[in-house]
Amino acid sequence: MCSSRSNIRKLTASFASFAALSVLIAACAPAQPGAPAQPAAPAQVRDFVTWYQYDDKNEDPKSDERVGNEYLRKTIPQFNEAFKDKWRWINQPQPFDKMDTNLVAAVQAGGDVPDLMQAGDGSLIPLLKNGAIQDLTDWIKAQPWFSDLDSSAVAGCTGPDGKIYCVPVAISPQIVFVWKDHFPNGYPKTPEAFKQAAEALKSKGVYAITFFGSTAFDGEGTTRFTNTLIQSFGGGFDDGQGKMKLDRPENVAAIQFLREIIEAGYVHPLSWEGTSTPFVEEEPMKTAEAASFPTGIFGYRYVNPLKAPNGNEYKKGNEEDMLDAITAGDVFIAPFFAPEGKKPGCGIGVTGFVIPTGAKNPDAAKDYINWIMTKEQNPDWVLGPGGGFPALRSMLPEIETRVPVAKAFYEQAAAAVAASQCRPWYGSLERRDEAKKIIQSTVYKLVKEDPTADISATLKAAEEEYNKGS
Amino acid sequence: MRYCGQGRSFAAPARFHAMATQAQATQSAFQVTLRRIQARGFFSHTLPFWLLLPALLVIAAIQFYPGFYSIWLSLQERQGAVWTFVGLRNFERIFDSAAFRESVGHTVVFLVGYVTVTMLASLVIALLLNRVIKFSGVYITLIFVPWVIADVIAGLVFGLLVVPEYGLFSPILSNPSLFPPKGLSITSDPAPRPWIAGFPFPPAPAMYYLILATAWRALPFVTLLILAALKTVPRELIESARIDGASSFQALRLITLPLILPTLVVALFNLTLGGMNGIGLVFTLTRGGPGTATEVLSFLLYIIGFSRLEFGRAAALSVLIAIINLLLILLILRVSRTEERVQ
Repeated sequence: MCSSRSNIRKLTASFASFAALSVLIAACAPAQPGAPAQPAAPAQVRDFVTWYQYDDKNEDPKSDERVGNEYLRKTIPQFNEAFKDKWRWINQPQPFDKMDTNLVAAVQAGGDVPDLMQAGDGSLIPLLKNGAIQDLTDWIKAQPWFSDLDSSAVAGCTGPDGKIYCVPVAISPQIVFVWKDHFPNGYPKTPEAFKQAAEALKSKGVYAITFFGSTAFDGEGTTRFTNTLIQSFGGGFDDGQGKMKLDRPENVAAIQFLREIIEAGYVHPLSWEGTSTPFVEEEPMKTAEAASFPTGIFGYRYVNPLKAPNGNEYKKGNEEDMLDAITAGDVFIAPFFAPEGKKPGCGIGVTGFVIPTGAKNPDAAKDYINWIMTKEQNPDWVLGPGGGFPALRSMLPEIETRVPVAKAFYEQAAAAVAASQCRPWYGSLERRDEAKKIIQSTVYKLVKEDPTADISATLKAAEEEYNKGS
Repeated sequence: MRYCGQGRSFAAPARFHAMATQAQATQSAFQVTLRRIQARGFFSHTLPFWLLLPALLVIAAIQFYPGFYSIWLSLQERQGAVWTFVGLRNFERIFDSAAFRESVGHTVVFLVGYVTVTMLASLVIALLLNRVIKFSGVYITLIFVPWVIADVIAGLVFGLLVVPEYGLFSPILSNPSLFPPKGLSITSDPAPRPWIAGFPFPPAPAMYYLILATAWRALPFVTLLILAALKTVPRELIESARIDGASSFQALRLITLPLILPTLVVALFNLTLGGMNGIGLVFTLTRGGPGTATEVLSFLLYIIGFSRLEFGRAAALSVLIAIINLLLILLILRVSRTEERVQ
């Protein structure tokens, strides 16, 4: 009796371990092919998968990406209708600060990659280094719209090897949004004039400026206000040969000026809070607590709703708020100020598309790109996801005609850009992500952590840090 | 059985032949049965191994393989579609980097603060709970609340408490009479000037806050460990000591603490490894800021690997962190063994 019970126990244990092993092996086994597909209809519609930072299914009116979300909601059915016998567009939203990582991981793991991804020139080098994007040189040069592309936009999509890896659709320069009531005589043109106006604003309880001053997003501030300030003082970040060059008199003067306006209380305190609350520096501009906000031209999509110093409210909660405020004259766009004899600085970025390595339907991506580059579609993309000037030079009058409320916006932005010297912040630097973190951390240290530190020595140490890895 | 060669007729009687055949059959059956019994014995002796095998395979897949892959990756650099062997270059770049040295400093400050605060607070709470007091069950339950909240949620909530415009603590923190001269902002105030050049101490207010938040999360587990250990301390020993004139503090120092030392070592292991490798709270509470004031090694690893996509360098840093973890554990073991020998 005892031995039979023991045998039953042993049998049960053996069976249980066998079952567990089987389950494990089955789980690790490759998936069995599904049932054979039904014979294809003559016109088989295939999925065209994109990665945008927008989500067409997110209808939250308070979402940070509401403008892009709405754009996709409107455009996906249009595309599917236009290509109804060929492609079916499926968008897989990705967080904007993780898109590149996710794409590289998907490519290197041999996983599912999208057929097309929205990307900017800032992502080009990391994606290229990791073999995640395709060379589009031959294809793009063969397209009828190629000759209409702005040359700086094409340069932004060109890798160090001279090949073109992305299709530029929008150009985003850095400009300054200004409340008219706080600067009734126009935005100051020199640092001294700025200080005078700022002092007058301070007596009214208004901060003269707010900006992206934190080290959030791995030094993203470098590409915005920091670059605008440094360039305006005639400085820069590189020596033109791929090495970082920070220790120069112009950069020292720019940082010294920044220290002075912070000390004087002209800079809104939320300028430094971005690491704990992303993009919180926009809030003072929305409520006119801050009189000006230097940022990318795409800022109009995010800085809403607005309340002007005179009480006017613009509260649609989308990109039209800023456009309406500019049309009404409550807000204007200006170039940054610069010392006598120098031109205001202005960073410039490019947004567009890349076709990932291993994309299943690159033809779908090319059809989509050609569709976006048409007169019917390009203005909406530029105003929506693009948030800047069209890379296609002939498209600007078309945009102004179709969206009259954008006319004043583009006119002023174009004038601001024309009055500035706009160029990409990175110059010849290749390790751009590392560079922007080093630069922004260094500036932050000099103006917030240790405002008495020697500027030249600290800048020198920072450039040596970067150049060691070259 | 007689052999044919022993004078018997060569043609043995049929019954002897049948007996031989039957004997042979019995022997074969016996041998088969014996082999079956032996096999069953082998199987039953090795049964634990077979039962553990699925778990071992899973551990091999999710721990050993990634570990060895990380070591391989730390010696590579991605160039286009291929990995290129670069030897120890990734390690050199990390050691040369000022960001790494600064991050080590932040990590040391964070670990020392977090471990000290957690151990002390847990010990005090466990000693209090060890007494027979009313509603001790309720207190124990309440103490476990931080443990059931995810790191990410805890980080978000702690962050909301100190947002300058509407944080619950912000009116207190921004009061200049309490925090002269201009009040305190956890999210943006920088660190004071370092006492030793190159070492980030004293830290920024954000680091103190991060230590507090992380200690709050770890408190329940360590309290439970210490409380369980305290329950095993014989009350007679303490009573005898008190009778002999020992004060409460002497009883604690000379009797209780030595007896629960192994548990304290386990708690220390747990806290050290958790502090070195945890990123959830840093990510959601401070994101390494303000500036780089809370950029500990685990966060730097995230930045290099997942923000800059430099996988080779990130793998090298992860190998270094693993080595640091190992050295810390060995140090703790050595110190605890020395303590035990001294006692």
